[in-house]
Amino acid sequence: MALAKLTNSFRCLLQRKQSTQNCLHTSALLSAWQKERRDPKGWLRYNKVIYPPQSLNEQPRPAFVCHQKTNIKYSPWKMWYIACMVRGLSVDEAIKQLKFVMKKGARYVRETIEEAKELAVKDHNVEFGSNLWVAESFVGKGEVIKGIRRHARGRYGKVEYFHCHYFVRLEEGPPPKHYYANHPKEPHEQLHDWLNNMRKRKIYNSL
Amino acid sequence: MAFRLAKHLNGISFKEISMGFLVCPANYINYQITRPHTKHWNPKWKRLRKMKVIKVELPDFENDPGKLSEEEVRSKMKEKGLLPPRPWVERPFNITCTGGIFEAYVPPEGDGKVSSITAQGAKQNVQFLEKKTKSMMAIRKVGSFDEDFNRSVFIEHAEDIYKKTHEFIALKDKYKIREYVTERAYPEVMHNLYNKTIIWKFIKNIERPRMVHARCTDIITKENVFAQITVRFHSQQILAVYDRFGRLMHGSDIIAKDVLEYMVFEKHLANEYGTWKIHAKIIPDWLPQKDPSPLTYKKPIETSVTVANEEKSTAESTETNISSPTLIEKPTNTSQTA
Repeated sequence: MALAKLTNSFRCLLQRKQSTQNCLHTSALLSAWQKERRDPKGWLRYNKVIYPPQSLNEQPRPAFVCHQKTNIKYSPWKMWYIACMVRGLSVDEAIKQLKFVMKKGARYVRETIEEAKELAVKDHNVEFGSNLWVAESFVGKGEVIKGIRRHARGRYGKVEYFHCHYFVRLEEGPPPKHYYANHPKEPHEQLHDWLNNMRKRKIYNSL
Repeated sequence: MAFRLAKHLNGISFKEISMGFLVCPANYINYQITRPHTKHWNPKWKRLRKMKVIKVELPDFENDPGKLSEEEVRSKMKEKGLLPPRPWVERPFNITCTGGIFEAYVPPEGDGKVSSITAQGAKQNVQFLEKKTKSMMAIRKVGSFDEDFNRSVFIEHAEDIYKKTHEFIALKDKYKIREYVTERAYPEVMHNLYNKTIIWKFIKNIERPRMVHARCTDIITKENVFAQITVRFHSQQILAVYDRFGRLMHGSDIIAKDVLEYMVFEKHLANEYGTWKIHAKIIPDWLPQKDPSPLTYKKPIETSVTVANEEKSTAESTETNISSPTLIEKPTNTSQTA
């Protein structure tokens, strides 16, 4: 409450300062000395899409929720492995598995999934939080802060401090049996394919 | 390369190296296998190595600046040399509408069902007459401000407002809603509209809408008069609410339902440009309880409840203490099976 008061009054201060420009300062209190964050916005826009009503005999559209965590101080290339790992798992399974991944990024991924699960129940008409699966999970490159490193003979090198974004989409329902399309085939499917190939083969110089 | 190796070996005596070859491999069991060192063995270069990299202060992306505690904000502002802001003492205040219903109409019990032939219905009619005088006075007062005020015209106008408001709610047009609804009712009207699709249709009036109650009051000064008129609507409507994914949440788009509503309309009479707007809805005490929601949800854990639980559990046994968090989840599970 007190902080809100502080924030408001600070805004007022800023307003007065910028009155010549005739614009309203509405960002957070501390952005006065911190650069405005430029987070990716496209992913969360999917949460605002409203689909047309369905008739009663239609298959109900599964609910989904998109969530992200931005500018994590971790390498995007290392994060990719963790993001891949949870794809196609149910939420509870993903959270459980991530608890055993001894990597820095696993904590961020787990937190994001947990937050998304809560959001789904709170805002997106999902009845049971556990009835969700990780439909999409991927990584983006965040802010890269450049540093300098000394070399011999007055030369210098560049040091890049990478940050990454993590994006996740949870969908309602049980997870599919195979997440990727090129999954290994079942024995009966293999047999079926083999038989088909055998029947289709062409015997050259035959009748 | 060979030169560098020889230089490196200079530092270590030959004896040490030869010992390494002779020692039995079993002794190495206690050694931990580590990655090959890329740094000089002598720590005296550590400082110089450190100086190679110029430290950059990385921005703190993780901690949201909006979520800092008051003390942290203070220390940050002190660090940057900013003065503490002026305390916020003003309170937003609205003068275009009243904050509630004055002398609210009490709907007779069983309205919409009781006929005037029964004893209860007859009693209601008598009570209605008793209350009429005050309403008449109020209507006369409205007429003194608004010379064109006519009861039948007003009823038509109220019905129009009633329909328009619902249509704009369904369209979620917040700018138009503001024209038909007072500032007090606006948050109530907009509540839970987000992310939903609403289908609303007005089919017909079962009974003609009628004025049941009217009151006037002045606020602060004598001339600053507000008028409130309660109109009874008994109609047939269709309402269906769909969630973001188009799944039916409430109602039906086929079945029409009888709706009895007491809408309070308000007008700021002192304001030359004041208009009649929906101000509130009267919900009688005798209204039967609503059907429980078909959706189950987890009950939010309240702190006071948990404290009570802890006290109870400590008094009884440790076993209940362990099971207390699952107790809250139980209703969700049972309803899942049902």
